[in-house]
Amino acid sequence: MIEMAVQQWQLISGTSWPLMLTISGFAVCFWFYQRCGQRSLLHPLLIATPLIYLAMRLIELDFSTYYQGNGVLNWLLGPATVALAVPLSHQLRQLPKLFKPLTAALLLGGLFATFINLLLIKLFGLSDTILLSLAAKSVTSPIAIGLTQQIGGLASLLAVATMVTGLIGIVVARSLFRMTNIDDDRWQGVILGVTAHAIGTAKAFETSPRCGAFATLGMGINGIWTSLFLPASIGLFIR
Amino acid sequence: MKKLAIGLLILVLFQWLGELGVRVFKLPIPGALLGMIFLLILLSVNKSLLPWLETASSQLIRYIALLFVPITTGAFFLGPTISNDMPTILAVLAIATVLAQWFMAIIIKSVSAADD
Repeated sequence: MIEMAVQQWQLISGTSWPLMLTISGFAVCFWFYQRCGQRSLLHPLLIATPLIYLAMRLIELDFSTYYQGNGVLNWLLGPATVALAVPLSHQLRQLPKLFKPLTAALLLGGLFATFINLLLIKLFGLSDTILLSLAAKSVTSPIAIGLTQQIGGLASLLAVATMVTGLIGIVVARSLFRMTNIDDDRWQGVILGVTAHAIGTAKAFETSPRCGAFATLGMGINGIWTSLFLPASIGLFIR
Repeated sequence: MKKLAIGLLILVLFQWLGELGVRVFKLPIPGALLGMIFLLILLSVNKSLLPWLETASSQLIRYIALLFVPITTGAFFLGPTISNDMPTILAVLAIATVLAQWFMAIIIKSVSAADD
């Protein structure tokens, strides 16, 4: 218990001036994103990270100093993961109404999303490090980062993969819904939540509050479900 | 402000409970995730903590992208072995995401047809 508190305190107390670099870079990009009508390709994460990288090159700041200096943000990922329980508890009452089809879609969809990804990684001959880093890519980032650290992948690669997955997911979803005749906004939400996590959920809320609610449910359940089966089955895919 | 502080404190406590549970029962899942499951179970049987949690959780989730900035910036420092594989990685991510959505659409079509 004490060891745990010490670890967390070390993370927080490492915070220093590079935090300002992150916050100011993000604030500028967030403002720009909102001014441009929240286009997904201008997502603040997508434009803030290269900007901060350039600034780091300019002032010759190395990554480990920068990362340590942002300790408090990294520490907040834990509470932010726990915080997902709140919107999820609001949406759980949707579950009984569609229990059977929803459970099937969530559990099978989550399994398929992860295993097709792992199979493709093997098929394309990518290394085990990359496999471990991409395995959790369709899970929402706060959960995925913890999960990736658990199985031994690179959290930074995972973070990019998650962002790219979310963006591809929302770009493709619209034409996919048209082609497969998925016109019920509840099911559209579930698909967006499971395959495109938080970015998909944000998109789902633009369709309707009900679509967003089902996306929240899909994202949350998929996060829990993947965390349960992935660490147990990842061994099958590595040499 | 008071609600924000108390809400954050509750979230941290649940994260610690989760970390503790993971260590004691040697579970292969992140501690924070078990903390979330604990809180979810508590909230589904008793909603009295909910008013205290709303502010902290909605603020954290609203600006959650900020929390990923440091870790995502690390992608520029992954080194040549991984950045050389980047085009393949992006192709895999794109194909996997499209196939996953298409598979879910098929599942949903068949289960909702069976249900009607």
